[in-house]
Amino acid sequence: MPNNEQARSTSRKVREDRAEIKMKVRMIFSLRPLHLCTAPGFLIALLIFLFVPTLSVLAGDLEPITAVPVPADNPQTPEKIELGKKLFFDRRLSGDGTMSCVTCHDPEMAFTDGLAISLSYPTTKNWRNAPTLINVAFQKYLFHDGRARSLEEQVLFPMMSAFEMNRNLDFMEEVIRSVPEYVEEFKRVFGDGDTTRQRIAMAIAAFERTLISKNAPLDRYLRGDKTALSTVAKKGLEIFTGKGKCAECHYGVNLSDDKFYALYVPENPEQQEDPRIGATRRYVAKVYHYEDYRNLTEDPGRYLITKDKKDWKAFKTPTLREIAKTGPYMHNGMLKTLDEVIEFFDRGGGKGNTALKPLGLSEEEKRQLKVFLTEALTGEPIVIQYPKLP
Amino acid sequence: MGVGPTVKKILNTYKGKIRLVIKNYPYKYRDYSHIAAEAALAARDQGKYWEMHDLLLEKSPKLDRADLIQYAQQLGLDVKKFTKCLDTMCHAGQIERDKKLAVDMDLYNTPTFFINGRKVIGERPFEYFKQIIDEELKNAKQ
Repeated sequence: MPNNEQARSTSRKVREDRAEIKMKVRMIFSLRPLHLCTAPGFLIALLIFLFVPTLSVLAGDLEPITAVPVPADNPQTPEKIELGKKLFFDRRLSGDGTMSCVTCHDPEMAFTDGLAISLSYPTTKNWRNAPTLINVAFQKYLFHDGRARSLEEQVLFPMMSAFEMNRNLDFMEEVIRSVPEYVEEFKRVFGDGDTTRQRIAMAIAAFERTLISKNAPLDRYLRGDKTALSTVAKKGLEIFTGKGKCAECHYGVNLSDDKFYALYVPENPEQQEDPRIGATRRYVAKVYHYEDYRNLTEDPGRYLITKDKKDWKAFKTPTLREIAKTGPYMHNGMLKTLDEVIEFFDRGGGKGNTALKPLGLSEEEKRQLKVFLTEALTGEPIVIQYPKLP
Repeated sequence: MGVGPTVKKILNTYKGKIRLVIKNYPYKYRDYSHIAAEAALAARDQGKYWEMHDLLLEKSPKLDRADLIQYAQQLGLDVKKFTKCLDTMCHAGQIERDKKLAVDMDLYNTPTFFINGRKVIGERPFEYFKQIIDEELKNAKQ
């Protein structure tokens, strides 16, 4: 044990090292590793931080280790997660029994459907791209336009949406109640067998909070494993945080600032050509009290929710975790590949936008950035055992 | 036009290397989808499956009996023969077998494709299919 003076000296040295490290790390990275450790892991990491400061240089912007955020009124339990998984896969949640959450959030396609415009309820057409559910637990706003503030709130939207699952929620509660196995499971999870929509949403949200990108090379790199990224990917990281300006919006655990920007991604021609998508657009606009909904010919983005002019055509900064697997990109899938995405940002975004400026990346820099995005942000495969439905 | 043009492009691109098998899966809650499937197969009997297929998608939802007979005329089919097939539901057995197969395979969305067992749901661009087909052809050669 060091004496008091030694302890003070060590402590001061650690504080100085820590301040310097944090400053350097902020300058270099503006990113944080994805922390999913449990309490013992937190203690171990903290000890390493305090007593082996040299490691901290490699470990990135160490902050108190956070677990997946879970709301106090919907704690995670294995039984609830299992129930949520079953409901996630269950077509009873759609009006005609053809759609489940999996239809558009397929585990084998990184919880997307791989389409520019997402799949839809039979005879209708969706109008936006299905975002991945990976790391959805970290998002402060859900949907491209951020209309939901919690997973519990978000989950019910597609179920009652006329062009998605098209299920009357009162009827859905009774359909689930008619399945004895579900009633028993609700009893085990919630204390009684009442199959309310809120509980259905809580269970599905609990399952979705388990869909986490784990142990991506970026995380290992930020935790101190210098070999986790290839030389090219490291250069890509420099571009990501520097000349490419990506990290101005894509930072933090989930590589998103949870804000909304109007980048003026071109309208998807399919949205103009298919009258069914026109119907969907007008319907959604009407639901959100957009006065001139009958003459709406483009996607107003977050404006529909806030009616704030600055939100006209603004969409949420998406996570970049698992980005290599989640194309096509942007709210309407207009950018098919990461190359197209990088080109879009390099030329300063879409025509008329004021959020972005041209970057002037060289071809080599674009390549390095792409290597970083694909190599560093892809975690271990998320393996989902398909549940046996009652 | 649905996914028809993409399928035709695939068939042209991979002539002699790929075999297309079509199964019918009329949507259970649409009253005219069954009769439309009958119409497509009745047109197939006279060698004009794709022509009728494309017309059905173009004209949907105008797909009642009178409309279908008009489309048969438009395509130059033997209308008497076509109408008889429609009225007797001469392909109902095949359509029901196809539907049962789909349900047994836990399929609910159209179009759904299986490319050497690899499932693809929904209309997708040619390039999407091309990548899978190229991989499967490569695997088949090994």
